[in-house]
Amino acid sequence: MARERVVVVGASLAGVTVVDELRRRGFGGELTLVGDEPHSAYNRPALSKGFLSGADTLESIALPALSCEVDQRVGVAATGIDGDRREIVLADGDRLPFDHLVITTGARARTMADLGAADPGVRESTFRDVSDARTLRDRLVDRPRVVIVGAGILGMELASTCAAAGSAVTVVDRQRPLRAQLGRSLSDLVADAAIARGVTLAHHPAGVRLRGSGTPAVELADGRRFEGDLVISAVGCRPNLEWLGGTGLIADGDVRIDDRCRVAPGILAAGDVAAFRGDHGHRRTPWWTSALDQAHTAAATLLGGDDAAPLVPSPYFWTQQFGITLRVCGALPVRGRPTVVAGSPAEGLLLTWPDGRGGATAAAVNRRIPISRLRALTRATPSDTPMEVRR
Amino acid sequence: MRLTIDRDRCEGYGLCAETAPELMHLDDDGELVLDHEDVPARSSTAAETAVRVCPVAALRAD
Repeated sequence: MARERVVVVGASLAGVTVVDELRRRGFGGELTLVGDEPHSAYNRPALSKGFLSGADTLESIALPALSCEVDQRVGVAATGIDGDRREIVLADGDRLPFDHLVITTGARARTMADLGAADPGVRESTFRDVSDARTLRDRLVDRPRVVIVGAGILGMELASTCAAAGSAVTVVDRQRPLRAQLGRSLSDLVADAAIARGVTLAHHPAGVRLRGSGTPAVELADGRRFEGDLVISAVGCRPNLEWLGGTGLIADGDVRIDDRCRVAPGILAAGDVAAFRGDHGHRRTPWWTSALDQAHTAAATLLGGDDAAPLVPSPYFWTQQFGITLRVCGALPVRGRPTVVAGSPAEGLLLTWPDGRGGATAAAVNRRIPISRLRALTRATPSDTPMEVRR
Repeated sequence: MRLTIDRDRCEGYGLCAETAPELMHLDDDGELVLDHEDVPARSSTAAETAVRVCPVAALRAD
């Protein structure tokens, strides 16, 4: 039998991890990694934190190069799949035959225009890659007034960094900051800290629009308007799957994976681009640890097929903003009041929320703890008396 | 190959220790401890992987 050919499209964290994991597990076939980014891979979470504050350089956040045997096609995009011939078509006209394909093309910033919420002529800024981060870092020197549209994780981390750099910051969204992502008790902690540091928070359930032309004004449905020297949209990301048009691999706008990261026979996907079936249907889970989990499963499936261990997400989420370091193991958002397992607001807290199925979500607030111990709390249900937690 | 931790950056997320438990662990206070600063040759790819999974780029292999 000829040597098996695996092509991984997308030099994202997921893509690089699939390649690395395949070789570490002894894959002996041909392996090709296609990536269209002009830079070598770098650590994206660091962009909104250390890189933006000036503490990091691109060199210091670069990911180590793959040292295993892999044919890397850098700076060239995949433009399609020839399904009959089982070939990837590249932008430079080259074709890569494959037995197995792994789709790891990641995601890009979603815009208010994508959501139909921007006037024509608006010049919209987003924050996703190193050039966005460089642009913002240079602008922050002059302490511009900053308006951020979107009070999710990225929007609030940007707000924290901009406020720390001396800018007046307003965050506008249709809902309260982080409420949908974290649940009430944790999001209140963060929102209170943001307000204490002078950030203005505004929301209206009927939504937000970008108005005007050039740098837009941000308008809430009740007519309140916010103007800034700098307006940044942080309204999520959208998967890079245009190159898969006409392949039949896209269902309802998603590349859907099963619990072994399979999309179709011989075709797998992992990372920000992939939608995995959870309690609420297929959803993308564009987080660091999710990309790692899926990449490990994809590699295992390529080697073991049905014998591979299925994907069991082990959610691990963290954020650092407004002086709060939050780490969470288990499902989010959390509902109801937490149990205080240990600590106090002054020395840091360990909290759990039982899920009613014998497990729990566990959070460490400003408290260092080995991840193994935080994860252990998700498997036990402490019986302490619930209490209201405030800073 | 030699591993180094940037203590100012390390937040103790622990993904590196889960990736390469033969090279490092988190102590009871959640601080990362390198058990082998000089990486044995057989563990060099594990070390590179541990560097890659750190979400705050706090670990380096040179």
